[in-house]
Amino acid sequence: MSISVLVADDSKLSRRSVIRSLPQELTYNIAEATNGEEAIHALSEQKFELLLLDLTMPTVDGIGVLKFLNTSESAPNVIVISADFQPEKQKNVMELGAKRFLRKPLDKDELAMVFFELGYL
Amino acid sequence: MSKVLSLNSEQQDALQELLNISMGQAANSLAQLIETKIDISIPKISAVTPTQLFSLLFETENAYYTRQSFLGNIHGEVMSVISRSGLSEVAELMDYDEPLSKHDIQEIILELCNILAGACLSGLSEQLELITNLNMPTLFQPKKANFDELNWQHSLVMEVQFEIAISSFIMRVVFCLDDVSLSKIKTTLDEILE
Repeated sequence: MSISVLVADDSKLSRRSVIRSLPQELTYNIAEATNGEEAIHALSEQKFELLLLDLTMPTVDGIGVLKFLNTSESAPNVIVISADFQPEKQKNVMELGAKRFLRKPLDKDELAMVFFELGYL
Repeated sequence: MSKVLSLNSEQQDALQELLNISMGQAANSLAQLIETKIDISIPKISAVTPTQLFSLLFETENAYYTRQSFLGNIHGEVMSVISRSGLSEVAELMDYDEPLSKHDIQEIILELCNILAGACLSGLSEQLELITNLNMPTLFQPKKANFDELNWQHSLVMEVQFEIAISSFIMRVVFCLDDVSLSKIKTTLDEILE
């Protein structure tokens, strides 16, 4: 069975890096969004199990996407992956419902550990 | 001969993201120092010739300027430009007492540049798996003639706005590189994009 994943990041390099870092034990249906607005549109159109979300994005940032999800009936599990990892920012995203906060550059093993903790592995 | 940095769109995207990550690390270091949350804008990156660089950065008097050279797998110079506005608030958060002396201001500027430009270069080097050693920054006053005579053929300008609770300041970090160093960076970017 495949996991439906939305990868939201304005950088192609980062989206590629996130997709390459997904645990190989599972299969995925992957969609990509290049900014927060596209992410919100995708989340409105389709149900995802997992959202891998950058914070610093044009149009709508990751915080805006999290706020949108708080008004949505079915929200995916959200893993925030960001270069801005100040403690207050981490606290903020966790309060908005993110399951985990991971630092960029993404560590493959750390992502696998989060998948394990969230019950995907 | 000076020329504008030539990166294709994928290389530009990759470099912007690597610098974004590095600047996030830099902001985290500064936030720890001043014990205050900092919001950073998405870095704006542009490439200019040394002559254009002078026009872009140094026409205004409302800034402080530092430069520091780096050596290693790539070599060049990092120039930092920090807006004067917002500096006294940052100084207060760094436990400096008002009024700031000339020495205080110099110390704060050099400390900020060392943290921010240093973290930026080291973050970039780490992600590109390059070794670079950054020398200490020095303050300087830009003069147009100096920029016409720069040895570096390429200048990459990164502009970031730092917002702190009580104020904001703008910093531009400029990476000046020669042909060989730029070529090395482009090759490494292509490798990570494969």
